[in-house]
Amino acid sequence: MANNQQISINDLSFTYRHDSNAVLHHISATAPLNSIIGIIGNHHAGKTTLCRILAGIIPNMMAGDLSGDVQLGPLSPTQNWPALNQQTGFVLQDPASQLSGLADTVADEIAFDLLNHGVANTEIQHRVTEVARQLQLTGQLQRSPNSLSGGQLQRLAIATAIVTKPAILILDDPTSEMDPQGRTEFFNWLTIIEKTTILIVSNEIDDLCEIADRLWLLVDGELVNQGTPLEVINQLKPDWQIGTPQVYQLARSMNWSLGTDLFPVNVNQLRGCLHDRHST
Amino acid sequence: MTAIQLNDVSYHYPTSDFKLTIDQLTMTANLVAIVGQNGAGKSTLFKLLTGLMQPQTGNILINHHDLADLSPADRLKTIGIVFQDPSSQLFNATVEKEVAWSLSQTESDAAVIAEKVAQVLATVGLTDIKDKNPFDLSMPEKKLLSIATVLAVDPQIYLFDEPMISLDWPSQQLVTRLMQQLAREKHQVIAITHDMDWLAATFSKIAVLSDGEIKFEGAPAALFGQPELVHAVGLLPPRIMSIVSDVLGDSRVYLTPADYVAKHQTH
Ligand SMILES: Nc1ncnc2c1ncn2[C@@H]1O[C@H](COP(=O)(O)OP(=O)(O)OP(=O)(O)O)[C@@H](O)[C@H]1O
Ligand SMILES: [Mg+2]
Repeated sequence: MANNQQISINDLSFTYRHDSNAVLHHISATAPLNSIIGIIGNHHAGKTTLCRILAGIIPNMMAGDLSGDVQLGPLSPTQNWPALNQQTGFVLQDPASQLSGLADTVADEIAFDLLNHGVANTEIQHRVTEVARQLQLTGQLQRSPNSLSGGQLQRLAIATAIVTKPAILILDDPTSEMDPQGRTEFFNWLTIIEKTTILIVSNEIDDLCEIADRLWLLVDGELVNQGTPLEVINQLKPDWQIGTPQVYQLARSMNWSLGTDLFPVNVNQLRGCLHDRHST
Repeated sequence: MTAIQLNDVSYHYPTSDFKLTIDQLTMTANLVAIVGQNGAGKSTLFKLLTGLMQPQTGNILINHHDLADLSPADRLKTIGIVFQDPSSQLFNATVEKEVAWSLSQTESDAAVIAEKVAQVLATVGLTDIKDKNPFDLSMPEKKLLSIATVLAVDPQIYLFDEPMISLDWPSQQLVTRLMQQLAREKHQVIAITHDMDWLAATFSKIAVLSDGEIKFEGAPAALFGQPELVHAVGLLPPRIMSIVSDVLGDSRVYLTPADYVAKHQTH
């Protein structure tokens, strides 16, 4: 039911134009606003397509046959796209494709959306400096975006998405090219920012299990499970071929369980599990 | 066995203050990983190894021959690269034509090309989409396609710049097996990666780049036994090490969960 405090997806199906097969089949899912939702699944699962729909890129910029409905709190990507777009930050899977192509410097690229939002000049300066520091791009601010390394480009894509302080972040594999410390810092930052709804696709299953409130698991266009990371990982079926976090692999092998056939999926759960074993 | 040797190599871009400086680096192992922070110079090193860019000083020897002296055709047969951004190497109208084009640079027999193209597309699992436009592929499909274009040519040395990016778990297994098989067949395989778990599980030789300089060469266990160095070059230990050190206070070196289990399981 419509609820202003929820993300709800109701019987969503989608087929790209010129394609005969549906990419998403009758997906229904819910989660509270301001939570972190990890979207997992293998190739052809439909993760990127789901991100495009949540962000309104489909159907507003890419065509196809869409049915069902999506609500992000009070807004819907089909009915209130301009309003939703104002509040959404999006990181595409291919960071190079995300550049405006209009900015000569990294600083201008980061400032681009702020200018469009009508933010005052001093505030723009302040925010660009701040976000560049966070993503370690300070040394690159006066360089051309075209001369960045792959990881620097991905950091730039994230900077442009978060600099407007959006209420909704839709992140499609945002750390694939980031170095290990950068990736860890970014995942930690996601847990710190407040009043933000985060939908994140990632193959970094270990990191997702550390930070996500819920996981949505897609297999061949169907949502086969949704729940806490603990539930979803413990309920995986072998033929889905989803990688598992190292904590879970370790706990299974050592038989450190949280109960009958239930194994921890993140460090905190593992700590709790071993603590309980010691105290009994 | 192939040997790649860099002597007093330096390179800088005209528009940034970054400088790559490698006094001595010799790579002889069949499977080598290059790691380091974003902007450390890993992809720059690869571009020099392909001969697409020339170092401003020093030289690069492949089996004692100067890379700069190889003809373009010999270079293609000697060294192939899967670029970090696969889009940058795809421009043909279909997946099949993309692979055929790449092979046609070193092979002229149409029948040989056709057979080889079909074979490598099957290897990476792209046969079903051979008529699609590469432009319309998903990121992981593009990465697998760019791997196929290099497999078709089958060079002596394979350079993989972040081969695992955006691949799902089954494709990661596939590419890992492929690389191990190439290495067994006496190819030299060099990969850049940010995935410390994959690194620890798969490679026995690694080189660490930091700010354009080589800061470590050796085995993963030797690197991860030096926490200060790992931190200073912007890396992290494999997750299993952080997990057991956080939760169990055990700060010894472990490369994989299986490694820990083997050392601790009570029988
Ligand atoms: N065409 C270019 N012009 C100017 N500077 C460049 C160019 N390409 C790369 N650089 C700079 O050179 C440095 C090394 O870049 P390189 O691409 O080799 O890094 P990398 O180690 O591969 O990083 P990543 O992990 O992000 O892929 C970076 O600071 C980068 O910004
Ligand atoms: Mg690179």
